[in-house]
Amino acid sequence: MSDVVISIKDLSKSFGNHEVLRKIDMEVRKGEIICIVGSSGSGKSTLLRCINKLEKQTSGKILYHDKEVKDIQRDINEYRSKVGMVFQSFNLFNNMTVLENCMLCTRKVLHIPKEEAFDRAITHLKEVGMAPYINAKPAQLSGGQKQRVAIARALCMNPEVLLFDEPTSALDPEMVGEVLSVMKELAKTGLTMIIVTHEMAFARDVSTRTIFMDSGYVAEDAAPATLFTNPRNPRTREFLGRYLAG
Amino acid sequence: MFENPQTLFEWMIFLTRKYLSMFVEGTVLTLYIAVSGTILGFALGYLVGIIGDIKVNEGDHILKKILIKTVKTIFSVYVEIFRDTPMIVQAMIIYYGFRQMGTEMTSVFAGILVTVLNTGAYMGETVRGGIGSIDYGQREGAWAMGMSPFKTMLYIVLPQAFKNIIPEMANTFLTNLKMTSVLNVIAVQELFMAAKTVGGNYYKYFEAYLIIAAIYFVLCFLFNKLFKLVEIKMEGSPDYALAIEYMDNQ
Repeated sequence: MSDVVISIKDLSKSFGNHEVLRKIDMEVRKGEIICIVGSSGSGKSTLLRCINKLEKQTSGKILYHDKEVKDIQRDINEYRSKVGMVFQSFNLFNNMTVLENCMLCTRKVLHIPKEEAFDRAITHLKEVGMAPYINAKPAQLSGGQKQRVAIARALCMNPEVLLFDEPTSALDPEMVGEVLSVMKELAKTGLTMIIVTHEMAFARDVSTRTIFMDSGYVAEDAAPATLFTNPRNPRTREFLGRYLAG
Repeated sequence: MFENPQTLFEWMIFLTRKYLSMFVEGTVLTLYIAVSGTILGFALGYLVGIIGDIKVNEGDHILKKILIKTVKTIFSVYVEIFRDTPMIVQAMIIYYGFRQMGTEMTSVFAGILVTVLNTGAYMGETVRGGIGSIDYGQREGAWAMGMSPFKTMLYIVLPQAFKNIIPEMANTFLTNLKMTSVLNVIAVQELFMAAKTVGGNYYKYFEAYLIIAAIYFVLCFLFNKLFKLVEIKMEGSPDYALAIEYMDNQ
């Protein structure tokens, strides 16, 4: 069995006549930590949302363990329960406490017993340092705390792959630090992660592979050591210019 | 002095005492139609709103697609018809329409049916708005973990939408309570009918209608307070307790 978890074949996405993604081909292997960087509007988030089927691609396929994920609700649900996602705007359930947020999907999607769901929730909330807040509602938490809860919530599903859509873009610098350190710890556990981010230092230090996207294309796909020191593509060099110089 | 009423106030007391059972029965019937009509109407409205929100996937079975499309079309035609015609006309059409088709239907049943259909049409739109008021991200958060759109609606969207539309539901209920008065045109013996009859007996319409105005007012006032309580209750506490047993790992 190959260790390719997700493969994206010839994926294109248009909104009207605006092509956001153009013929993306990409393979995600087990244990890889892929950071996707690029300017706003280059299609990074759309690519991630296509991978989780939140956007429907215009053409192309997404394969999960060599099997195509079809546009049928049951297949989509099944696939999504294995591929978690963490959003820029946290997307916690506002009508529930932190604990309920972490237990809902394990109970209602995976149908695991209540005690086990509770144990999982506490374990992962401890990992992100949010266990003392189990009784709080999302509105009572800071942005960084919300994002850490969102990460714990996604981990409760024991996902095979976890997608991060600019997880720190809505946070102040201090909170960025607390979320990134949680993600760094996660990276050490061997979890497969795809991270869309503007945190270049984080991408360089944590990723096993960095992808630079530009106007809907994968402009460069390389090891971070290469991409951040000696990018081949002139667009990458331009984008990273300030960073490379600094 | 109440045996020989002279002033407005005395007449009101006199009529109330003399026709107490009529006013009580009218109040009970008004409440019965308003409460049952509203509750069933809300259920219908939620159904309309929720079904209006269903989306189909390209890969779904063709029968599922056709079924959803058909039901959506039927509901939108229904909502349009009932929102764009007066309730008093609907009452006449339904009551006399069924009778002329040979279906026996009591006027109370017809009254409830009209209230349900009317409420359902308005609530459908209200629920749709309530669903729309919950930010889409929360749904995506649930979907992204494999939760089905139906369960997402049930556990995440509806509880919040419900809370947001409580004021609108209170409005609808109060409107229904008052709109039962038009059902006198199909001979429902509700409050308005009681006042009409009582007023006619002594030619004291002003007094009779003042009595039921007071009853409507008190009923609406009380229910309004009740809805406010529910709203406050659902707001929840702004405080939460830190789980100190998990503090040590901080």
